[in-house]
Amino acid sequence: MKEIIHGSILRSLVLGAVLLTSHLALASDKSVLDRIKAANEPFDTMKIDSTHPLSMKTVRSNDSYQGGTFKVLTRKDSIERFRCSGCHKDKKVQVRDGVSFTHGDIVINHGSEGTSLSCSDCHNEKERDFLVGKKGQKIDFDHSYQLCGKCHFRQKSDWVGGAHGKRVKYWAGERVVYNCATCHNPHSPRFKKRMPATFSRPLDE
Amino acid sequence: MSTTSQKGFLSFLYDCFRWNMQGSLSFQIFRLLLFAAMAFGIYAYSYQARSGLEVTGMSNIVSWGFYISNFTFLVGVAAAAVMLILPAYMFHDPDFHRVVIIGEGVAVGALVMCLSFITVDLGGPLQAWHLIPGIGQFNFPTSILAWDVLVLNGYLLLNALVPMYILYCHYKGQKADERKYRPFVFLSIFWAFSIHMVTAFLYQGLPARPFWNNPLMGPRFLASAFAAGPSLIILVLAVVHNFTNYKLDKKVFHKLRLIIVISAIINLIMLFSEIFKEFYFPTHHSIAATYLFFGLEGHDALVPWIWTSISGNIIATLILAFNPGDNNPKVLLPACFLLFIAIWMEKGIGLIVPGLIPSPMGEVVDYLPTWVELGVTLGIFALGITVVTWLIHPALILEERYEKMRASKMD
Amino acid sequence: MNSPKKKEGQMKKKDMPDTQCSRRSFLKTTSIAAAAGSASLVTGCIPGKNSGSSEEFKLKWEEYFKEHYRLMTQEEKDATISRLVRLAKLQRGLDLQMSSRPAREQVLYGYAFNISRCEGYMDCVKACVKENNLDRKSKTQYIRIFEMEPGQLDPSTGDAKYFHEVPVDNKFYMGVQCFQCENAPCVKACPTKATWREPDGIVVVDYDWCIGCRYCMAACPYWGRRFNWGKPEIPDEEVTTKQHYLGNRIRPMGKVEKCTFCVQRTREGKLPACAEACPTGSRVFGNLLDPDSEIRYVLKHKKVFRMKEELGTDPKFWYFID
Repeated sequence: MKEIIHGSILRSLVLGAVLLTSHLALASDKSVLDRIKAANEPFDTMKIDSTHPLSMKTVRSNDSYQGGTFKVLTRKDSIERFRCSGCHKDKKVQVRDGVSFTHGDIVINHGSEGTSLSCSDCHNEKERDFLVGKKGQKIDFDHSYQLCGKCHFRQKSDWVGGAHGKRVKYWAGERVVYNCATCHNPHSPRFKKRMPATFSRPLDE
Repeated sequence: MSTTSQKGFLSFLYDCFRWNMQGSLSFQIFRLLLFAAMAFGIYAYSYQARSGLEVTGMSNIVSWGFYISNFTFLVGVAAAAVMLILPAYMFHDPDFHRVVIIGEGVAVGALVMCLSFITVDLGGPLQAWHLIPGIGQFNFPTSILAWDVLVLNGYLLLNALVPMYILYCHYKGQKADERKYRPFVFLSIFWAFSIHMVTAFLYQGLPARPFWNNPLMGPRFLASAFAAGPSLIILVLAVVHNFTNYKLDKKVFHKLRLIIVISAIINLIMLFSEIFKEFYFPTHHSIAATYLFFGLEGHDALVPWIWTSISGNIIATLILAFNPGDNNPKVLLPACFLLFIAIWMEKGIGLIVPGLIPSPMGEVVDYLPTWVELGVTLGIFALGITVVTWLIHPALILEERYEKMRASKMD
Repeated sequence: MNSPKKKEGQMKKKDMPDTQCSRRSFLKTTSIAAAAGSASLVTGCIPGKNSGSSEEFKLKWEEYFKEHYRLMTQEEKDATISRLVRLAKLQRGLDLQMSSRPAREQVLYGYAFNISRCEGYMDCVKACVKENNLDRKSKTQYIRIFEMEPGQLDPSTGDAKYFHEVPVDNKFYMGVQCFQCENAPCVKACPTKATWREPDGIVVVDYDWCIGCRYCMAACPYWGRRFNWGKPEIPDEEVTTKQHYLGNRIRPMGKVEKCTFCVQRTREGKLPACAEACPTGSRVFGNLLDPDSEIRYVLKHKKVFRMKEELGTDPKFWYFID
């Protein structure tokens, strides 16, 4: 009987030692947060050369983020009838063209009830090729984020930093982000309800 | 006698085989039936090997099912041989000494079944060589599954080699040298506990599964095994006693009954402790237990299963404890059978499946084995029983001859 | 930076003894000895009805005896990749480009999910299935989006099986997938070291080394792993041919797979397919070791949490609220 006891003590000691060392080996690994805290050197994302060139048209943003300047997808190229001044000039628009040229298809659903926005809140009445800020500043369509940010300043700062909106295609390489209007319809910025793109099969099928 | 005593190991093996071919007609028919069951198992497995495990009832949520349940339970049965080995070799109990060989045979059979269940559960059985240290990558000591592979195979070796040595000595008409095998017997005793604990740790070590991540798992595993294993051994001994010339003393049954009763009571106390913990103040971690005992979100496949098991457990424990028939086999044997089945239900499916339901993301599904799983399982059980008969049958013939020889020498 | 994890790509010596020589000679003798007897076993039991040509047989044979990925030299990696590409051509007529690009230095991938932005459109799920060549038959998906009742943050209270117009008023959406734990329970569980954490933090599986025991699936507290219960089925025209050995290559039957943050894309500087597909910008991905990255901005400026943080798995996937 004595032998059993001795054996079992020895055995549990060996087992304990093995488990302990394997645990210590794990404990010596740093946690993610420790590693993050220790990493303060910017990473040169430009060295990942598979990320450029980007085929989409971009413009350098007037803002800069924590890593320097960055680029934004252009907006003017995706506005069908830009330049606006092509129509909106001294010359009067013919009545027969009015049907196709007016913006009757646009529904403005921007702003909360009672304080809904109207066209002239954003569009520059004098210089139609530009947007306009509250204080009358001219704002280029490609830099519409400057206008959006006047009200949505929290979203704007998140967008500049990277917590709102998204980068185009790459996490590395030169930073290129979507502009506000790539995702949000400026006249009706809330996302629409729709069916999901797919579904998950019930698991108990 | 003297003719065989001169022969070597090969003739020992040959004689064992020859004795195995003998036996009554009903015995041979029984064996043929086992072979038929194995053939069906092989057929079912070949179907599974071709189509993949999708022909089983398992899913990404219930990723372990009937196979691993049976594996887990049978580890207990294998380990329970220690309840014969310990008194036989350590305390030199003469009653147990005569039956220890049967216990070891049962252990080997159970281990063969365990390893078979693991193999049929693998998605890539052909890649199993990746486990072999040296050629493959054996994730030891980090992976508890690696420990399990080690302890199961080690226990199989110990339980096969020690009896083989003793039998071989007896075959040659010699007394087995106790100094030679005693260290291995000691080792096998600790090993029996370790296969159990390691298998429990397999589940216990997973914080992902609160139902398993429970320090009582290992001890309760031992208690239930030391109830179920000896119950099975009592049944096997009864078969041996009634159908062979190897007659057993009634005292063996009595002693085994005591072991079973104590283990079964400890098992029930621990079960009560677990149930108290889960349901006195149910937390998020009790959700699997809720599924098991009461069902969840309309899924209640295991509810009748577990209550049947617990009722069987309690009834069998009470019968064995109060012993109304005074060791009458007509009471004792059904009670043992009931206890064995009840623990199989609980320590098999009742332990493995609810550990996986609901999924860690809270999704509830039910699990039912398919005919393929049942077929393969039937085949493996047949294989295990075959192994036990092929081991015990010649062993008993040998022991009987050896006893007679010693008796005649004494005269 | 002298990170202790830098050398994870190569296995530690202690970890994986240098037994390559003996292993190789062993395999050689075994393969010669076993060739005659088990030829039918290997080709017959690895299902494939049209294993007729001798070239295909030879390729499969060599594939069967190949090394663990982390022990392969670059030449051996190239060899197995060319075999896999050739097999895909022979069996399905597919022209694959398969990469074995290792992790980049000074990169540790991290992910953040904006639960106040996600609208439950599931474009990410669709893109993931396509990009990662997931089995269409069983409708395997790595990502699960839970529609959540307000007042609770535990996905087990949500519904992942919704199929109706989204977003539903007064509900929010929460995506789960593999969180690429730094202290991953699945890696610890694997008995054959077939799954490990790469130096850039991605937990990968060597699909050919996995034996399909599914212990990792039991060990994962986030339900991040999937099993190939049958042979994966993907229509030829839908197969994503730009693949990575550890990523989206088509898995064999009976092996475990998981989200790899699209290792085939991210190591080329691209965003994971889910992040690129997201129409709401709820998914932020980047290099945790770069203080200028978007993911670092989120961690610094937002209130974030990780799922089941109490388990100590140290996931590299955060949830945040605007």
